Amino acid sequence: MDVTSKTSEVPEEPAAAAGTERVWKAGRLEPMPIRPLPPAPPSLHILGPTVFLVALGVGMGESYMWPRLVLVFGPDIRWLFLVGVTLQAFVLLEMARYAMATGESIFFGAARIFKPMMWFFYVAAILIYMWPGHLSAGASAFEEVSGIPWQATACVALVFVGVLFSLLSVIYNFLEKLLGFLIGLLVVGTSVIAAIVGQWGDLADTIQGMFAFGYFPDKALSSAWFPIVVGSIAFAGPSGMQQMWYTLQLRDSGAGMGAHIPKIRGLRSSGEAEAMPSRGFMFDTEDPEEMKKWKGWRKWVTFDALLLFWGITMLVTISFTVLALSAARENPNVAGLIEGGDREAALKAMSDAFASAGSPFLGSLFFGFIALIGLNATLGLFDSFSRGQADMTYYFIPGAKRFSMSRIYFGFLWGVIVFGILILLFGPADGPAGILDVLAFLSTFAMGAYCIVLLLVNNKLLPKPIRPGPLRNVIIGFGAVFYLGMLFYSLIRFGVVLD
Amino acid sequence: MTTETKIHQLVEFTLPASVVGISAGLIAALLGGFAGQPLGWAAITGLGLAVPLVVLGIGYSALVGLGKAPAGVFAPAAAYWAIGFPLAMLVHAITTEWAVTGTPGLPDQPLQFLAFRALLSMGFAIGFLWMHEQVGRHWWPRIMEHNVYAQHTVEQYVHLAESMEARKQAAARNRKKRKAHV
Repeated sequence: MDVTSKTSEVPEEPAAAAGTERVWKAGRLEPMPIRPLPPAPPSLHILGPTVFLVALGVGMGESYMWPRLVLVFGPDIRWLFLVGVTLQAFVLLEMARYAMATGESIFFGAARIFKPMMWFFYVAAILIYMWPGHLSAGASAFEEVSGIPWQATACVALVFVGVLFSLLSVIYNFLEKLLGFLIGLLVVGTSVIAAIVGQWGDLADTIQGMFAFGYFPDKALSSAWFPIVVGSIAFAGPSGMQQMWYTLQLRDSGAGMGAHIPKIRGLRSSGEAEAMPSRGFMFDTEDPEEMKKWKGWRKWVTFDALLLFWGITMLVTISFTVLALSAARENPNVAGLIEGGDREAALKAMSDAFASAGSPFLGSLFFGFIALIGLNATLGLFDSFSRGQADMTYYFIPGAKRFSMSRIYFGFLWGVIVFGILILLFGPADGPAGILDVLAFLSTFAMGAYCIVLLLVNNKLLPKPIRPGPLRNVIIGFGAVFYLGMLFYSLIRFGVVLD
Repeated sequence: MTTETKIHQLVEFTLPASVVGISAGLIAALLGGFAGQPLGWAAITGLGLAVPLVVLGIGYSALVGLGKAPAGVFAPAAAYWAIGFPLAMLVHAITTEWAVTGTPGLPDQPLQFLAFRALLSMGFAIGFLWMHEQVGRHWWPRIMEHNVYAQHTVEQYVHLAESMEARKQAAARNRKKRKAHV
């Protein structure tokens, strides 16, 4: 038996006679037929598709990149994290608006506005996400525990992820459960450990630092650190295109009009996949009953965004920052080590904080958590990447509809796995931290671009009653200026794109 | 139903909550055990956390089983653990002190100690609720034949599951209709 929160029922549709069907015209592509909106889930349950965003969001940014900045610049630098995550929560809500109203991904929305914009994301996703950064960082943490070289672990994990996904029947259901369990374990574990190891003063500093708006030390403006700071802000919460992929997970979870779209199946049972409709659907926004259901869905997704995404991301990162501050006490020269070029020093120092009671095992436990985060992020990322590319390929590459969406999904999944193995064995990557910094910086451009897409899609393609209000538009507009502004400032001032 | 049967069923129902408490206790025991403490001390510090967390977890789960708290909803769990988690950590600190020095004692600045843990309790509440549901949704349907509390809780989820099924079927019917039109 499967019990989840993301459930609702679809009333049986009245059979529309061919030719008389009501449609909503959105952009230049095929109009969306009007279909009933399913009722929203009845209560505020904790399980939902945001589990993916949490799995992706509580990643290396929270456990590694931000603690590293805290060790170097002090806890006051964390106000930038607060701005980053809060902005991401608004982005999530606006991404959900389009996806739940239409059952289409945000990529489809971008194509309805201007197809080259969608192709930009298609190419950017490949450039950014073919690098196995998250996995290699998790694997290098595992090396600290086991002594097994990180390349070997990363390769085995890559194959494991591919085989696992290929054997599943319905990928979404399994992943939601697995990630849910792993994140539960992570959250319980970090809370307990931070409660044992941390001190009131660390927590007070951490929280105070979140509100030290405007603090920006001169050193952070240097060519060595500014690109890292920019990348870290992008890595506050789900970075790069992860928010865009969330629209596909929302669809697969059956949220809003996503209920009318079939799910992606595993390779083993991809033959059973139902045919994908050639576009999404719209509901009747003139009908007060439908609008009532829409408000229910907005409430549901807002709860998901605020509690699960914003709340968990914030709590886990607070726990990790408390540990970083404990590390600084145990190991006062850690900032010097990091500045001296030892970029893995942040992880080692935090491991020392765990070990402060006197045993190396506790440090190993910490690396175990990092490895777990790496695995979580990898499972979520590979699924999301393949989902996003399959969506765009299926709908927009001529002839691709000959294959099912599931087969295209697996084409991308195994493609990224094989590339990952090759890069790990023979690639130019200079180690996990190097790959992560590249990812973080490239991600920022995609984030600025998706803020612009969101503004266009939600304001031009949706019926007036469900468009975003002026305040939300201003916030998303600020997001575009924030991400792109930092990126170009970095380029012009330091001439640095990649660290 | 006799009181004895009720208690037996309630204990059976609250097993998933115990699993979460035991996991947290194990983490604490490992922390203590490998921190150079003798095995006995480590066991005491582990139990010092596991026992209160299990007891409090069972308490929360019993509220759900008895219909006093809705299943899987965050706010009641957060309120419960905002008090429960600091208390559990206080018991842990006292027993650890006891194991190490031979006499139980309060931590320095007990109010700050409790406030710090109360803030972290939000994280624990989310993790607890999350794991409680993950384990529970496999356990409760298994025992619901003979356990009224499990039956009651599963019923809360069943209408969700049924409506999900109805939605799937409706969507499938719609697709067939569309195909038929083509």
